[in-house]
Amino acid sequence: MNVRRRLTYILSAAAAALLLLSTGYAQDNGKAGKLKEIIPPGRQAPRPLGPTGPTGVVPRAADGKPDLSGLWNGQRALPGQEGPVMRPWAETLTKERTENYSAEDPEAHCLPGGVPRAIPYHHQIVQTPNLVLILFEGNIHTFRQIFLDRKEHLKNIEPRWYGDSIGHWDGDTLVVDTVGFNDKFWFDMAGHPHTNQLHVIEKYHRRDFGNMEIEVTIDDPETYVKPWITKREASLETAIEMTEYVCNENNSDVLHLVGK
Amino acid sequence: MRALGASLLLAVAAYAQADLSGVWVVSGNPDITGDLPYTAEAMKVWQEHKANLRDKDPATYCLPNGVVRVTTLPYKIVQTAKLVVILSEGNTHSFRRLFLDGRGHQHVEEVEPDSWTGHSIAKWEGDTLVVDTIGFNDRAWLDSTGKPHSDALHVTERFRRASPSRLEVEYTLEDSKFLTKPFKFTRVFALAPGRELQEQFCTDLNHLIPEKR
Repeated sequence: MNVRRRLTYILSAAAAALLLLSTGYAQDNGKAGKLKEIIPPGRQAPRPLGPTGPTGVVPRAADGKPDLSGLWNGQRALPGQEGPVMRPWAETLTKERTENYSAEDPEAHCLPGGVPRAIPYHHQIVQTPNLVLILFEGNIHTFRQIFLDRKEHLKNIEPRWYGDSIGHWDGDTLVVDTVGFNDKFWFDMAGHPHTNQLHVIEKYHRRDFGNMEIEVTIDDPETYVKPWITKREASLETAIEMTEYVCNENNSDVLHLVGK
Repeated sequence: MRALGASLLLAVAAYAQADLSGVWVVSGNPDITGDLPYTAEAMKVWQEHKANLRDKDPATYCLPNGVVRVTTLPYKIVQTAKLVVILSEGNTHSFRRLFLDGRGHQHVEEVEPDSWTGHSIAKWEGDTLVVDTIGFNDRAWLDSTGKPHSDALHVTERFRRASPSRLEVEYTLEDSKFLTKPFKFTRVFALAPGRELQEQFCTDLNHLIPEKR
């Protein structure tokens, strides 16, 4: 079914004005620029269609913590950040992937985006005191679980696309610590790689009612000379509802990804 | 003050309802055992599926099972006052959302009338969570034996935690195109203490996906 039609799910007539902006943003499947110049993460221009969310008071959960629950628009990287400093092998691999027009990008082949790939689809956060869920509209319609009820990572984790995530509150910021990754996914379309030693720390801060800041620290000494930090924002989606996006139902991307 | 009031209301509501949270595994046969009151047309479609089960099965291509068909792998229910989420380990490692915020089905027809998992709204009737789902496509199967449904399918599920370790789900299937009358059946799920969902991505494991590398 036509994704554009699905995205015109108007929940509120009052939000109709927002809708034009929001649907435009949501329809950007992130792949329009795939064959153009590759820009390292952190150096992207701000998404021109990404509206900021409504201001207002941060909602609180029953336990007094900020409630991050809600439907969020795709994360956008803030401009003017430093890119990563890669080890030579990673530099070479990224160049190869880029020069091959990102044809091997797992994300485009309906495999999970992994962490912390910023995917331009909606994602819904569901917060409970002991567990936070992130429900992804796409690239595949799946979920992450962030456990707040344990302090230690699982032992002997079979490497995973989304790793093992544990979280805790640092004041009003949700800090998510993740290890146990496989080495299959790319951080971005450019193909920035990692090993299974990857350690990601995400800090989610709901700045006001409709805007969230996400700071991500990527630590993988075998791939990057030093940990690097990427800063992002997401805005609350109030006008439309997340759809059931089934990547492998009608994946036209892959037909265009022919490589060299 | 308003926020505090809302929080208190939510807390009270959460206490007042049964708690379905947990990791659950279907007990016994996950398929529908009774005879569905199929129309002749539905019977024909079912025969076509059965004649070529593997090739016709959406799951062969990592497509969603929909709502009625379940796997023998665990499901996890995460419950909040306004939203219940059902996570699935198997099939597409995806989720269902059951909306308890009072919304209706009014936008389904114009926006997403033909999804695999439909549009689910829910309410509590005592200790029973009653879930009403429409908006289906006609491609999902009702179980692994290829039982079809049409896009007129309407599913009512009644979730009741009969004991701490037992979840009963009574399904009522209505389908004005494929069923001559409503059909009811019940499934039982057992709590799987200590079990957590494993990460399993069909598109990563399935060599039948043409795009798969």
